[in-house]
Amino acid sequence: MQTTAWLVLGFPLAGAILIGLLSSRIPAKAAGYIGTASIAGAFVSAILTTLSLQDREEDARQVVFVAWDYAVSAGVDAKLSILVDPLSMLMILVVSGVSMLIHLYSVAYMESDGGYRRFFAYLNFFVFSMLLLILAANFVLLVIGWAFVGAASYLLISFWYRRKTATAAGIKAFVINVVGDIGLVLGTYFILKHSGTVDFLGTFDSVKTDFEGANGDLTAGCLLLLVGAFAKSAQIPLHTWLPDAMEGPTPVSALIHAATMVTAGVYLIARMYPLFEEAPSAAAVGAIIGAVTLLVAGTIGLVVTDLKRVIAYSTMSQIGYMIMGVSAGAYVAGLFHLMTHAFFKALLFMAAGSIIGAMGGEQSLNKMGGFRKAMPFTFVCFCIGGLALAGIPPFSGFFSKDEILLDLGAEGGWHWALYVAGYVGALLTAVYTWRMIFRAFFGEAVPEAKQLEGGHLFHPTEHVNPSTGEAEDTDVGFPGPEHHVAEQAPLMKVAMGILAFLAVVGGFLQIPFVNHWLEDFLDPTFAGSEIEIEPSDNLVIFGLVLGAAVGLLGIAIAYQLWVRKPETPALFLARFKALHTLFSRKWFFDELIDYVVVRPFAFLGRFAQQTFERIFVNGTLVGGSTGLVRAGSAAVRAVQSGYLRSYAALLLAGVLVVGFYFLVAS
Amino acid sequence: MNVPLSILLWLPASAAVLGLLIPGRATARMLALLGSAGALGLAVSYVLDFDRGADGLQFVTDETWIRTLGISYKLGIDGINLFLILLTTILFTASVLWAAGQSWEREKLFYFHMGIAQTAVLGALLAQDLALFVVFFDLMLIPFFFLTGMYGPAATRIAAVTKLVIYTLVGSLLMLAAAIATAVLAASQNGTELSFAFSDLQLARLASGSQDWIFLCFAAAFLVKMPMFPLHGWMPDGYRNMPLPVLAVFSGVLSKVAAYGFLRVCLPIFPDASAHFQTLMLIIALVSILYGSVMAFTTTQTRLILGYSSVAQLGFITLGIFALNEQGAQGAVLQAFNHGLVVAPAFFLVGLLAARAGGSEDIREMGGIARKAPVIAVLFLIVAFANLAMPGSANFVGEFYILLGVFDAKLAIAVIAFTGVAMAAVYTLRLFIRTMHNRVGPHVQSTELTLADALVLVPLVLAIVALALYPQLVLSKGEKSITAAIAPARDIADPPPPAAALPVQIDPATGQPVDPNLPPNPSGGAVPIDPNTGLPADSTGGQIPIDPNTGQPIEPATGGTVTDDPSSAAPVDPQTGLPIDPQTGLPIDPATGQPTDPSAAQEVPTP
Repeated sequence: MQTTAWLVLGFPLAGAILIGLLSSRIPAKAAGYIGTASIAGAFVSAILTTLSLQDREEDARQVVFVAWDYAVSAGVDAKLSILVDPLSMLMILVVSGVSMLIHLYSVAYMESDGGYRRFFAYLNFFVFSMLLLILAANFVLLVIGWAFVGAASYLLISFWYRRKTATAAGIKAFVINVVGDIGLVLGTYFILKHSGTVDFLGTFDSVKTDFEGANGDLTAGCLLLLVGAFAKSAQIPLHTWLPDAMEGPTPVSALIHAATMVTAGVYLIARMYPLFEEAPSAAAVGAIIGAVTLLVAGTIGLVVTDLKRVIAYSTMSQIGYMIMGVSAGAYVAGLFHLMTHAFFKALLFMAAGSIIGAMGGEQSLNKMGGFRKAMPFTFVCFCIGGLALAGIPPFSGFFSKDEILLDLGAEGGWHWALYVAGYVGALLTAVYTWRMIFRAFFGEAVPEAKQLEGGHLFHPTEHVNPSTGEAEDTDVGFPGPEHHVAEQAPLMKVAMGILAFLAVVGGFLQIPFVNHWLEDFLDPTFAGSEIEIEPSDNLVIFGLVLGAAVGLLGIAIAYQLWVRKPETPALFLARFKALHTLFSRKWFFDELIDYVVVRPFAFLGRFAQQTFERIFVNGTLVGGSTGLVRAGSAAVRAVQSGYLRSYAALLLAGVLVVGFYFLVAS
Repeated sequence: MNVPLSILLWLPASAAVLGLLIPGRATARMLALLGSAGALGLAVSYVLDFDRGADGLQFVTDETWIRTLGISYKLGIDGINLFLILLTTILFTASVLWAAGQSWEREKLFYFHMGIAQTAVLGALLAQDLALFVVFFDLMLIPFFFLTGMYGPAATRIAAVTKLVIYTLVGSLLMLAAAIATAVLAASQNGTELSFAFSDLQLARLASGSQDWIFLCFAAAFLVKMPMFPLHGWMPDGYRNMPLPVLAVFSGVLSKVAAYGFLRVCLPIFPDASAHFQTLMLIIALVSILYGSVMAFTTTQTRLILGYSSVAQLGFITLGIFALNEQGAQGAVLQAFNHGLVVAPAFFLVGLLAARAGGSEDIREMGGIARKAPVIAVLFLIVAFANLAMPGSANFVGEFYILLGVFDAKLAIAVIAFTGVAMAAVYTLRLFIRTMHNRVGPHVQSTELTLADALVLVPLVLAIVALALYPQLVLSKGEKSITAAIAPARDIADPPPPAAALPVQIDPATGQPVDPNLPPNPSGGAVPIDPNTGLPADSTGGQIPIDPNTGQPIEPATGGTVTDDPSSAAPVDPQTGLPIDPQTGLPIDPATGQPTDPSAAQEVPTP
């Protein structure tokens, strides 16, 4: 078990290094297959580890393995140690499984790109980092994994590094993630101060005893951990990087910015549940922010016209559900949704990538339409993903989302507000998801779609950056010349097919009144939880019916607006102009951050550079010290006048001073 | 048995002198390479042989130099300077190797000054005598004066070097005066012989008034050298005018010697002043972090980005030192090593980039260099991530410890300092993106790393990676010495909890309270206890008593040591050896400070 657990990390790391070192010495395709195989290796190791973990007694299913002392000194005990327990196993199974499929998809999708090998090296490195984050058994290693995924995300967002929009999006994502890292480190300090250890299990053991009378510090620590979670999981107000991150290649959006990395915040809160349960006010903040995010992101999703960004806002919104759930104590439900979301959101992105391929790189919904006939496979996949996302039974998202809301309702009290917000969000979700589907696949077929119906994939004659219109070439650093659609690439079809299957059946792990396999599996991790949630049967049935109804209603609204009467959205737009501006300007968060953070620092920089440095440092201080020396030497020169009488006067003065000194001193 | 430290110290200088004397242009280069590589080998052997469990100095050389002035030629290695010595030898070897690939006017003189510079730096690091330290510290300036003044760009180098010298000389003169004052005052105050040895000066604790002004003089010299805001005025011009191989060692090593000076000189010898000025120093460090960061992301000159980034990073190191606790100081020493290891390859990279951008070092002229040079891009990326202290790099571990120390000492300062961490990400990535990524610059000719460049750069980057995997190497070897160095200042800044809170062990033989951290005292004298406070009395007039066995000052609150002082005012109970309360006549429990029944005193719980 120890070996297989370490191999989970070893395979992707080895893959990344191998591809990096071999680079151009191997054929491009080989890099893709090495990358995919290494993740498959990690996936198999994860399965083996899980199986041997299940062989253990239920109360012995939290195992720590230590490799070596990493930084053990002066009261910090950071070792290179991993924690194998049901929670980390669930996460690594999902992450390595979905990653494997996305690697497979990328083998075909990225085929013509100049940076093909680099892409797989980065992707493998990302998977390694994500698995490290999940397996970390202490805060220091967690922060390392946390930052590594941020770095991998940065590298992949700015994968097309000659695009200024991509590098700008990359640095934005990286810096916001650093803010998250800082939150995590400071949170660790607050906790370490009392627990005396950075080890997770040790900290959890101490939380009842060592924090007595220091609940303020514990709450501060948990709030700071939340800052880390929000930054990584794109929760308000640290979410602005996620839509921009869509500058990266589509498989990256599927893997990092939908299925895996962005859910790290959910994992973190679930992992830290013993702390959050002792700091209920911090947990409440998490739940409320989750609810706000799911609503705000849902409204923006309604008006965004960039296909990938619609899915990005949808991701934000769905993670809002998860954060809300795990913060409110619905751990299993939150993780359940994390898993099903990974399936259907990765599927949606892959399908979106297929459409974007058919459009020759164009991402605007305004230019799409009528792809239903041209791309039947993509259409079916998109619909499955869309049904799961909208929460239509029996697709996976239905069960997992309802489980979160059910737990909130069962807890009662102020959680009812979250419950209501959840259902409002569900309606928004169904509307924006199906708006996207109807606009891309229904209506008049655009020329690209017609061309594809004839079996010919559209390729633009001029290559431009879709967001700015700047001319580009197709060499390394820009997207390659070829585009790929699922209909013509079997590997993409395989990956999407498997995910579509999972998006349908993933919800059957946990069906009300039928089974609770996931809950049983995760029980050893959450055994210590003191939050008891016992929903009544009526609430369960009410929730299921309401969930299905809201989803169907949303789809119906979308159908009405974008298929039956396509002129109505324009009317709404004219009627509620202010609201539309608010939504389409993304609630002005970018502007807010610009005014509050970016501009003051830029001003400070200019002031330091142009005024302070020039006048104060170069003028006064240097002028001061050199001036002092000059004045001093001038005085000395003046004294050495050559006149005997002035020397005599100096001598006399000196004698007087010395005599005076001795008089006073004695 | 190890090679004497003198060989390590004088090897580079001897190679330099030989290189100057033996005719032939190649000989100077070869000898410089041999000298620095030999020093590197020796430094590695000292690291390997260093015993992390031992107290105090190792590999000591101690000879009397000027008897009448009490100056000795004393060299030694402990956990504080061990890795800085390794860093010095690594960076000088790399720089000489790099310089060897370029052509220099007056080549022999160039290598001569490099050799002298290395010996000066090693001397300042190895010196265990204040006078020797000052001599080497000032000697460092001379070769760099020539290296800048002779090899910089002709138009500006004289002005730059004048500025550098004036700044540094003012600091050095203050330090010289302060050093003399320290030894003279120490000798006259305690009636001992004049001595400049660190070990003697630590024992003779000066009155706090003298400590204050002497501390400030030393601080001025160190802060200029680092440089810290607002004494960094020489830095932009100095950095612009140094040839890059010189700059790599200057920025990588010399600034660390200044930081080292705080740990070696200020904290142990002037603990009261260090504690007194703690907040001032923390604020200077904090302002340097913020100012350096802000400047680093506004300037467009690649070297100045690194220069201001160094100001910020040195700010973190100073922050760690003046946290005045183990975590901060441990982090500072680790970070000093890390920063040197990162900034030197960064300057090499700047050279490579400038060569590919038509000679310009301005990021506005660069861009897209990664396109044909993926290896450079990867190496630069690793260096950049290390520079911004990405978790997973050893720099992160350093910053983690530093900020943890500051967090414990002054929460607010730690929180503000974290903005420096975020800004480091901004300016470092900005440098990376503007040079390697984005559209290809107008004069950019992207070509891959040559083998000769790789020979310098790749080992340095590998060292960064290796250290990232095992920072424990530096932490564990430094732990003991660093704790000892900061202990006196720490106990003043953050007094340990009163004795009552600590479980006290009673030695059954003597009835004395025993500090479990200290070896038992054979002389078995009684601890005089101050009747008012219940703490062990300060028989030395405001000074912490010194354990005669270890030479270390003892924490008064734990009551651990034992100074046999017959003149003590408190009478001692002959039975228990405990002092007697003058009012009640009962012995005083050292744990509570209250008069107690002797039988009860024996029942103090033993841990």
